[in-house]
Amino acid sequence: MRIKRRSGAVLALVATTVLVASGCSSGNSGTGTNTSDLYKNPVTINWWHNANQAGPLQTFWQKVADDFHALHPTVTIKISAIETNDLQRNRIPAALLSGNPPDLFQSWGGGEIADQVKAGYLKDITADTKNEVASMGPAANIWAVGGKQYALPFDFGIEGFWYNKDLFTKAGISSPPTTLDELNQDVTKLKQNNITPISVGAGDKWPAAHYWYNFAVHDCSAAAITNAATKQDFNDSCFVKAGDDTKTFIATKPFQNDFLATPGQQGANSSAGLLANGKAAMELMGAWDGGTMQTLTPDQKEPSFLSWFPFPSTSGGAGGNVQMGGGDGFACSNKAPAECVELLKYIDSPDVEKAFAATGAGIPVVKGAEAGLSDPVLQTIAKATQSAQSVDLWLDTQFGSTAGTAMNDAIVAIFAGSGSSQGVVDALKKATSR
Amino acid sequence: MTATEPSVSLAGRAPARPARPRLAGPSRAARTRRKWYEIIGLTAPALIVFTVFVLAPMAFAVYYSLYKWSGYGWPTDFRGLDNYIGTYGAFRDKIFLDGLRNNAIILVGSLLVQGPLALGIALLLNRRFRGRSVFRLLTFVPYVIAPVTVGIMWQLILVRDGTLDTLMSRVGLGGLITGWLANTHVVIWTMLFILTWQYTGFALILFLAGLANIPHELMEAAAIDGASWWQTQRRITIPMLGSTIRIWMFLSMIGSLQVFDVIWVASTPAVRSLGASNSMATYMVDHGFTEREWGYGNAVAVILFFISFIAAVIFQRFVLSRDIEAPAKARRRVKN
Amino acid sequence: MAATVALPRANRKPTKWGSPLTYVLALAIAGVSIAPVAYVILSGFRTTGQIAADPAALPRPWVLSTYARVIQQSKFWHQLLNSTIIAVVMTLGVVALGVCASFVLARYQFRGREVLYTYFTIGLLFPAAAGILPLYLLLKDLNLANTYAGVIIPEVAFQLPITVVILRPFLAAFPSELEDAAQIDGADRLGFFWRILLPLSRPALVTVGVLAFVASWNSFLLPLLVLQDDSLHTLPLGVQNFSAQYSQDTAGILAFTSLAMMPALLFFTLAERQIVGGIQGAVKG
Repeated sequence: MRIKRRSGAVLALVATTVLVASGCSSGNSGTGTNTSDLYKNPVTINWWHNANQAGPLQTFWQKVADDFHALHPTVTIKISAIETNDLQRNRIPAALLSGNPPDLFQSWGGGEIADQVKAGYLKDITADTKNEVASMGPAANIWAVGGKQYALPFDFGIEGFWYNKDLFTKAGISSPPTTLDELNQDVTKLKQNNITPISVGAGDKWPAAHYWYNFAVHDCSAAAITNAATKQDFNDSCFVKAGDDTKTFIATKPFQNDFLATPGQQGANSSAGLLANGKAAMELMGAWDGGTMQTLTPDQKEPSFLSWFPFPSTSGGAGGNVQMGGGDGFACSNKAPAECVELLKYIDSPDVEKAFAATGAGIPVVKGAEAGLSDPVLQTIAKATQSAQSVDLWLDTQFGSTAGTAMNDAIVAIFAGSGSSQGVVDALKKATSR
Repeated sequence: MTATEPSVSLAGRAPARPARPRLAGPSRAARTRRKWYEIIGLTAPALIVFTVFVLAPMAFAVYYSLYKWSGYGWPTDFRGLDNYIGTYGAFRDKIFLDGLRNNAIILVGSLLVQGPLALGIALLLNRRFRGRSVFRLLTFVPYVIAPVTVGIMWQLILVRDGTLDTLMSRVGLGGLITGWLANTHVVIWTMLFILTWQYTGFALILFLAGLANIPHELMEAAAIDGASWWQTQRRITIPMLGSTIRIWMFLSMIGSLQVFDVIWVASTPAVRSLGASNSMATYMVDHGFTEREWGYGNAVAVILFFISFIAAVIFQRFVLSRDIEAPAKARRRVKN
Repeated sequence: MAATVALPRANRKPTKWGSPLTYVLALAIAGVSIAPVAYVILSGFRTTGQIAADPAALPRPWVLSTYARVIQQSKFWHQLLNSTIIAVVMTLGVVALGVCASFVLARYQFRGREVLYTYFTIGLLFPAAAGILPLYLLLKDLNLANTYAGVIIPEVAFQLPITVVILRPFLAAFPSELEDAAQIDGADRLGFFWRILLPLSRPALVTVGVLAFVASWNSFLLPLLVLQDDSLHTLPLGVQNFSAQYSQDTAGILAFTSLAMMPALLFFTLAERQIVGGIQGAVKG
């Protein structure tokens, strides 16, 4: 259930912090070896990933581990599957700090990986992964710091509006909108037909915040975003404009009632659940939403009426047609054996990526692997990702968690009608000056 | 109770009772020593366990609150009272103050609603009837259920177009429907409602038990003297329930200040972050622990402790003192 | 005259039927108390999709697979056992320690008695969540982490204040003649305590025992920290694990929650008579 998951995450934070504070060991791997000793000595690789729910992805990673072990019998892989927020926010930071990190672990890139690199936790894999990076396109940059590669993504997709084709047809919308004006018109048409236009999981804060993020990357030049992420400089007026644009959009009343009490993903009343059960026409969400919706329907299948369009373009923004996206990758800790890098490369090999695509759990980054995608919606997203002019990582991941949380809170205030555009900038400044 | 029996036998033996039954026994000093051994022996286990596992951690929490600390290793970044009154301190954060206000609403609301409600029901039902124990059992059930479950339950019922909304529409009250959990002005009252649901039964049981101690003859004598039912309640029953009511008030007050589970489960992070439904305790976890600001979180805990402490002392002074002063005054009056 | 006549008549008919108004009121109150609980239990007989489609409806058709799945899939029975062991031992511990301390506070006169009492009651004022981190570090140092004792002992400690607050006035209410009589019969104070006072205190002991049991049963934070082995997890942790693993399975979570609250409800049902009697005695003082 939504709340329990979160309270579990929070209270597991307590647990983890406490475990680390008391020097609890999380398991260790063998010592590092240079490449000529590769596969000579038996090693154990501790692998932490976020597929904690029973399903195709969890099975897939297990198969990857088994296959790799079959190829290289000296390598034993021990997997820990941990809920994603708990993993990224609590377990990994705690393990890194305690000096007993896992060898291979999930990474979202952006500000978090920059912090980890600064603290010296990650292995520099630039030299070893030149081929893999070349096969990936610009997404790999998100997992690079200062021109050096420290992790590799295996999944990357831009977010956009998942929508219900049937409801669109019912409201007389023949094709999805490409500009913000068109989106607003479609919202009106849906309302005229008594259909909730958009569901938003504002209860969990970040789903609402993504609206602001998208406006921000459209309104702000790339330089402004970079300055904000690396130098904590939020003085560009584009950030205030993003707030204004968000406010204007909210004022068209496109969302379901009581969005402040709607969670994003858990339970039938979440924003994903509303879309999955035909109670709303659209939801702005990342590429994982299909998988989420699958478990929220009576027949446990992804609804067939789903389709997807990217965030529409706005006029007059300095950012141009930038898309917002994110993905998942894995990094090797500095203490991991060299075999860890090999495992990482194996995960990003074309065949494994194609098999990943076939699970429907996400969008592969390696070019050509998207042929393995069977879900037509994911195919649409993959195409849009590759043809995107430029892609920005989720702003709360980019800016780091302290700034990100404060930013999200201020954006929620705008949704609640009590916050201001300047308020978001003030919150960012306050959080980063602490 | 069998208290009457010893008195009877005592009455029979009273004349024969020796003036100093312990003449041949141990000396007074030995008796005092013995008394202290017993005191220490009987209280030591509880004392030790309590001190080590409750008070010591509390003391550490105070210590940690003086630091900026992310929870790993030992705190090193000493900040003094920064977490309390500094620029980013709790008292300067509007959301914390909102939490304080919410706690106050719950505290006053609980006292004003649960008490009279439970009292009224207890008075009306203070007569023996078939099925009374079943009824008592059922009203106590909400208290027995884990608060987490309570939160989930009500969430399901109060969701937009959920059970409550549907029922209200069916009886024609549809116009009153609002966002029970989403409307930032309403949500704290929803929380109060849920807490009332959970804890009124507890007050009710307490009051029913207290009422059972009031001798029936008193009320019947009043009835014979021509007092109406309401007069009887007002003049006799309620005053005699005094100490029960005061015990309940104290427990309710402390519980209101520390409320966490139901609010955490039944309201979303967004609503809490706006200060619409948070309490000091949820604020402590949301802003202190979630963001790995353990020093800050502990500071909020210490503030919560002091507020509870002050409330308890004030309550002791102004309310419980009546239990001491009134009989003393009565004694003085009798003497005169 | 009329008063004495009325009393025996009431005693002759101990359970007469009440007036209709009484029943209407009682039913209404009991209904409001139970309705949400019944809703959760009944929802376990539906599927998640059914709940999503119509949250307020009754099960139609009744689906047994949700409860069945929950019982089989989860480690429910094991967690039930852990919760029971911890709660029973903790209850015995709290009652034992609590009654000893309350006895001293109630029936001995000594300097510092009120200070000692206040010392215990301070524990009521501190939020449990805050002291949790230093508490865990302490448990680790004492090698109590990941053991039953690591949960039981702190739970006993946290429950002591409320136990003492309830027991002290109860024990103090017994007249001193009782004690004197015991002395005459040759018993010292401890004998009085053991042979006379304790048996007479049974209602109050059951009261604090039930409150302790419920507190331990519903306790979440402490077991979460201390019990790392899955095999030691208690029911609330089990509910949490289940809902995290199957977070979209609303029906399953409700079913699991229903099952998890059953033991506490059952226990309370059995002990209900003693509880009210115990509270009766406690508030006499």
